[in-house]
Formats: sequence, C-alpha cells, structure tokens
Amino acid sequence: MRPRAMIMAEIEVKNIVKRFGKVTALYKVSMKAGRGINMVLGPNGAGKSTLLRCIAGLYKPDEGSISVLGSNPYYDDAVRKGVSLISDNYGLYDYLSVLDNLKFFGRLYGLSDSEIGSHAARLLKEFDAYEYAGRKVYTLSRGTKQKVAICRAMLSSPEVMLLDEPTAFLDAASAEELRGMLRRMASTTAIIYVTQKIDEIERMQGSITVLRKGRIAGSTSLENIYKSVFPGMTVRVKFAKPVSQELLSGMKGIRVDSANAQSISMKVKSYKDINSTLKLLIDRGAAIISVSYEEPTVEDFMNGGRIG
Amino acid sequence: MDSRNVFAVAAKDIKETFSSISIYGPMMGIPLFFSIVLPILTIYVTMYAAPSIAVKLALLPVANLPANTLNKVSFMSFFSLNVLGPIFLTIPILTATVIAADSFSGEKERKTSEALLSTPISKSELLTGKILASLIPTILLTVGVFAIYGSIIDILSHGSFGVYILPNAEWLLMLASSPFFAAAAIGVVVIISAHVRGVKEAQQISSLLVLPVILLPFAAITGFADINVSFFKYLILALVLIDIAVIALSIKSFRKEAIL
Repeated sequence: MRPRAMIMAEIEVKNIVKRFGKVTALYKVSMKAGRGINMVLGPNGAGKSTLLRCIAGLYKPDEGSISVLGSNPYYDDAVRKGVSLISDNYGLYDYLSVLDNLKFFGRLYGLSDSEIGSHAARLLKEFDAYEYAGRKVYTLSRGTKQKVAICRAMLSSPEVMLLDEPTAFLDAASAEELRGMLRRMASTTAIIYVTQKIDEIERMQGSITVLRKGRIAGSTSLENIYKSVFPGMTVRVKFAKPVSQELLSGMKGIRVDSANAQSISMKVKSYKDINSTLKLLIDRGAAIISVSYEEPTVEDFMNGGRIG
Repeated sequence: MDSRNVFAVAAKDIKETFSSISIYGPMMGIPLFFSIVLPILTIYVTMYAAPSIAVKLALLPVANLPANTLNKVSFMSFFSLNVLGPIFLTIPILTATVIAADSFSGEKERKTSEALLSTPISKSELLTGKILASLIPTILLTVGVFAIYGSIIDILSHGSFGVYILPNAEWLLMLASSPFFAAAAIGVVVIISAHVRGVKEAQQISSLLVLPVILLPFAAITGFADINVSFFKYLILALVLIDIAVIALSIKSFRKEAIL
C-alpha cells in the first residue's frame, strides 16, 4: 500500500476488460474516484456489480489495471483492510447471531473484540437495529439484514466504500440515515455508489459516471439527466377541491383525471414546464395539495438520453 | 499467514455447522446410530450365526479351524475389524465431505462469499481455516464413534466370552488412518467446489470417495486384502502422499472467483 500522500486518487481503473466466457461484462472501462461520493449509474446488466467486484479485488480483470489505495486489490490482501463492500446481497451468515457476524468480519479486518463491541453497538443503534444484536440473522426481515450488512461494512471505518444498491431493501428512514452517514463520511472516504435509480442520484448529489453495456458512456450531471428524461414525462397535480374548466383554459397538454376534476395530468418537456404550470394554477386560485410524477428510470435516460 | 484470520474462519464455520440441528443432526446421527447398532448386530451374528457363516465362507481365517471348535471370539474379532472397521472408515470421509462441501460451496450458495472475500483475508488463510473447520469436527466425531463402537464390542465380548477384543494394533491404526482419509476428502471437495454450483453437487461427487473403502470388507473376506498392521502402515503412507498431492492441487487450483 502506498503512503496516502502519494495517492492521486483512491481508486484508479485503467482500461479494464472482464469477460465471463463469451460474454464481455466490462470493456475498456476507465475511471478515477477520489474522496467524496462517486455515483455510477446504469441499467441492469450494464456491468455495475462486476465493476465493483473488480475494484473490491474479487475479480481479476482480463485486461487493464486497478489501483485501490495505491495497490492491486486482487493480489494485495492488506489493501482490502481499507475497503468495504456492500452488495445488493446482504452477505451475512444466517445461522449466526448479528453480533457473531459482526465479530467475525471485524476480526478479519484486524479489530479487537472490544473495538468490535463498541463500534457494533454504535452502528446498530444508529440504524435502529441494536435490539437484534443477539438474534440469528435468518430470523430478521430483509430490511434489517441490510441494516446489519451496512453496519458490517462500516465497522472498520474504511477509506474506500463500494456500495451496490445499498438502499434497495431499506425503509425510507433507514435509507435516509444511510445517505446522511455517507455524506458525513464523504470528506474522508472514497465512496463508489452504484445504482439504477435516478432519484438516488438526486439524493446523493455526487459526481455521476454512466455505465452502459459494459462501457463507460461518460460523465454527466443531474441537470443533464433530467433534461434527458423530462421530455414526455407525466406529472400529476392533485387539488384540495375540484377545479373548473375555466381555471384550466388555455393550458396545453392538460388532461383532467377524474370526473370531479380533483386532479390533472400533464405531459412536460422540462422541469420549467412544471414550474410555469404550477405558478399559473396557483395564480388562478387552484388549491394544490400534491405534485407527483413517476420517478424516471435509468432506462428512460438511456433510451433517449444524451450524456455530457 | 495470520493465524487469527485462520482461526476466525475455522471458528465461524464450526459455529455455523453446529448452530442448527438440521445441519449437524444427520451428520452425527447416522454414525452414532451405526456405532451402537452394528456392534450389537455383530454379537448377534457371532452368537447365533457365526459357525454356519464361517463354514460357508471357507476363506475366513477361523474357517480353517475344525467346525466343532470354531472360535466365536476369533470370528467376532475378524468381523469387528474386517467388516465393521471399513464401514466405520467411511465416517471420516462422509463427515469431512459434508462439512467441507457446505463450507466451500455453501459460501457460494448462501451468497456470503462476496462479503467474505472482500475482507483482507488471504487465499491461504481462508483455505487453511476452512480445512481446519472440516477436519477438527471430523476427527472428534470419528474418535467418538470409534470409542463407542469399540466399547460396545468389548462390553458384549466380555459379557459373552470373558475377553476384551479391542483395542488391538490394527484397530488403532485404522483409527489413525481416519484423519488422512478426511484430509483427502476435503482436498477433493475443494477441487470440486471450484467447478460445481452448489453444496449438493459437491457432496454427491465427493461421496464417491467411499467406494474403495466399502470394497475393503469384500477384499478381506475373499482374501484379496489382508487387513493387518502392515496393510495399515502402507495405507497411511499412501494416504499421506495422496493428501499432499490433493491438498497441493486444491491450493493451486483454488481461485477466489470459484466460490463467488
């Protein structure tokens, strides 16, 4: 492991190719990630999990090189002391208790039992899972297992965190707790967060790399993503009381949803359309109680999207 | 190699194995059942059927004796060692196979390997820990089962004939050979685990290792093999060489990706 001062970026991936038989999962993928939140966006099958596994040292790339904290994580076992991986799979031993799982992983990271005990208690409390410490993992719900998996990954205070859809099974409060924790860690930790959810990108506010069919499609910003996905999106506005046709007159692309005109749907081209329509409705005296839209999926972005 | 990591893996695997009766129950139940039932059947055969069996099986050493002086003790000693012994030798193979297959392929099947392999543990620490986790319970179970089987044989033979048949040198050497059988089985499981998808496949293929051992009683009865001290000395020597080759090959062929 190189001294920290000499490390330019915590994670440096250069032209890696990873094949599984005849399938090329990653092709000439290069990226650099330093401290902070580095989002990797891509649809199913884009190669996101394979990329994380290569960075975690689980897979040996067929071509190219990976440097994590200055070393090759596949060959240098010690460098993985500074790396934690949370996959979409909780990765805990079902027949062991939560505490035994944390003890086992903590020991492999070189922590003493007393360190494990204190870190585990703090993390479990933060995720509201302390009461499950003595329970065997198979008795827990999917969400609680995911919380314990997150505690496991954070136990060693890693310098590099690799997260694969970590909020997939969490309730809203726990998901927000995790996001807050990651934001607080971002100044000292290089976080790679892979997801296929655009709203997750929005919530995390990090740099964004787009992976498509095993290739880096480019870097982008949230604004660009929304510019790409907004055209054609349907936004639904709900009112406290039915609105009259008169109130909606002159507004294009509006469809009244129900017989009593308590909500409307509108096709928008950009977020500006939402702002202007809502302003007009309020000016005309409409009592808006909610504005909702179906979260754009990464496929929406990929299909019509441009990157830049 | 960091011994703390080795012991952490071994302790975790052993704890996991013995955490649920559905895992360790069948693994221990069958050998324990055998260790009690088979010696009882042996005394029954000795008491009521040995003379006629001995006469029919002309190749039995005791069959060389005149029929009217057929020595039941010799028959029981022969049966306990040559027939029951190989049956009990399948225990270390089957137990080691079950635990090792669960230990290696189980990580893949239960999707815990990703979290495990992303820790700083080295390949050699992981392999050594898992081999120990398979070997230690196997040796303890085998010693326990041999102790029960030997004790019951002795209790019955002393009760019936006033003599203790076991332990003798052959029986002790047979027990001594059991860790080497177990180590070979574990090595084969490691090699197989790299190429199969789950625990069941690894267990089924590795279980084939018992076939040569099961043939031993027939070899002894028909005179192809003489199960004596020399036989076990050569057997243990051969097993040591096989173990070295199989374990070396398993270490060489083991790739982290194999259990992902």
